[in-house]
Amino acid sequence: MPKEVTVALAQISSKVGDKDYNIKTMKKKIELAKSKGANLVIFPELALTGYVCRDLVYELAELVPNGPSVRQITRVAKRENVHVIFGMIEHSVKAAAVLHNTAVLTGPRGFIGKYEKVHLPTHSVFEEKRYFRQGYQTPVFQTDIGKLGMIICYDVYFPEITRLMRLKGAQLIACISASPSVRRGFFEVLTAARAIESTVFLAFTNLVGVEDGLQFWGGSRLIAPSGNIIAEAKYDEEDLIVAKINYSEMKRLEAFVPTLRDLRPELFNALKEETENL
Amino acid sequence: MIGLSGGIDSSTASALAALAIGGDKVIALNMPEKETYNKTDIQHAKNVSKKFGFKIETIDITPILESYYKSLPVYDTEEKLSKGNLKARTRMTCLYYYANHLSKIVCGSSDKSETMMGYFTKWGDVAADISPLMDLYKTQVRQLAAHVGIPPEIIAKPSTPQLWPGQLAEEELGIKYEILDLILLGLENFMPPEDIADQLKLPPKLVRDIRGRWLTREHKRRPPLTLKLEYRTIGTDFRLPYTPSH
Repeated sequence: MPKEVTVALAQISSKVGDKDYNIKTMKKKIELAKSKGANLVIFPELALTGYVCRDLVYELAELVPNGPSVRQITRVAKRENVHVIFGMIEHSVKAAAVLHNTAVLTGPRGFIGKYEKVHLPTHSVFEEKRYFRQGYQTPVFQTDIGKLGMIICYDVYFPEITRLMRLKGAQLIACISASPSVRRGFFEVLTAARAIESTVFLAFTNLVGVEDGLQFWGGSRLIAPSGNIIAEAKYDEEDLIVAKINYSEMKRLEAFVPTLRDLRPELFNALKEETENL
Repeated sequence: MIGLSGGIDSSTASALAALAIGGDKVIALNMPEKETYNKTDIQHAKNVSKKFGFKIETIDITPILESYYKSLPVYDTEEKLSKGNLKARTRMTCLYYYANHLSKIVCGSSDKSETMMGYFTKWGDVAADISPLMDLYKTQVRQLAAHVGIPPEIIAKPSTPQLWPGQLAEEELGIKYEILDLILLGLENFMPPEDIADQLKLPPKLVRDIRGRWLTREHKRRPPLTLKLEYRTIGTDFRLPYTPSH
């Protein structure tokens, strides 16, 4: 298991509803990231389709992993010998109109796993519950480049999910996002908070561009368990940042900020009860 | 207030208005202009007003248009589209003048087929306070027209927006409403274009083109695009109930 991994955050502007165009963009970015030594390339939430797809979601949804887009990206991942995480609209095998906002992890030896967004924002400009079914799983995946977890955008407001993934052994959690500019302040704090409180590496990759009047701010960042920003992408324009992380840093931080040692499970039952009675 | 050309949509919408609130509360404006002047249509409009018991006023908008033509430095007499849209928007301003002056609301007569296709003038004929036909395809409006008693000669004549001489809707759209409406119904029901083409025995390209036209005209059906900058944004955020008498 390598201690050091090179991570690329591919901050792209997707074309709404145009998967062919977006896959071409993603291929180019994967090749570019690989040429810069990346072992893992992370794309934003719904990078495959754009975020504001509204009623087009039904025709843009695909099976995971047996749909054409996962196959195409996997071919590139195999050819380039690199791991890739990207967001797409997934439809259920059993019901074609049951959709998920999904993060896909694929790699040099093929499809590895997926995460279906657990917290779906349905407020302000967000209408995800209108279209998506929420996920129920919080998987982590053992890979050649470490144990990886994935969360999507609004999930970052809920510390439980990154905590849970960390307790399952995640070393690096990818937070793929389509975060609008009006929420930049929240995300800059929350992404660092999730990394610090669970002493885990967090790779935040955000969309850029304007979709339907909604501007995504970019600012993708790779955050160390200390909360330090290892590398940061530009605001408001496409960017690709490549940086190294070293998992051995985690041990040092776990001793300095021993939140995992000090976790109090007896609080969790109360948390569950109070949440059910909110 | 309703603009009444004497075509099927405006005849049906004004008949519905009169049936709903009484002809004494409905005023129709017939607004012909020189280039598209059609005596038969004007007679049809008058027949509908008589049959359904509402008042109709005829306003020749030619002098208003001519003053536009004279005032606009870039005016090009050969360019049909801008000129045609100017006619639709001029009719809209007249309707809203009357509506303000008489404390009335404007009733539109756009149907679902032309609204989905974007076959209307932005801020022109589509501008209204209520639009009772907007969820009915043209072929459904024809049935409704017959049901409420619109004279058959109005239902049978070919649709025209009357923006320039000889303009016919089906010719411009390149398709008969009987087929267009089935394609649009398929799209409304989330059917893939290939399945629609297959079921209707049509070339897939035709269906894809119709779908493309439907999607690219979304800007004509929405409030102006704005940027999300603040807490609650007009268009994307505010979800207020419709309470005109609040």
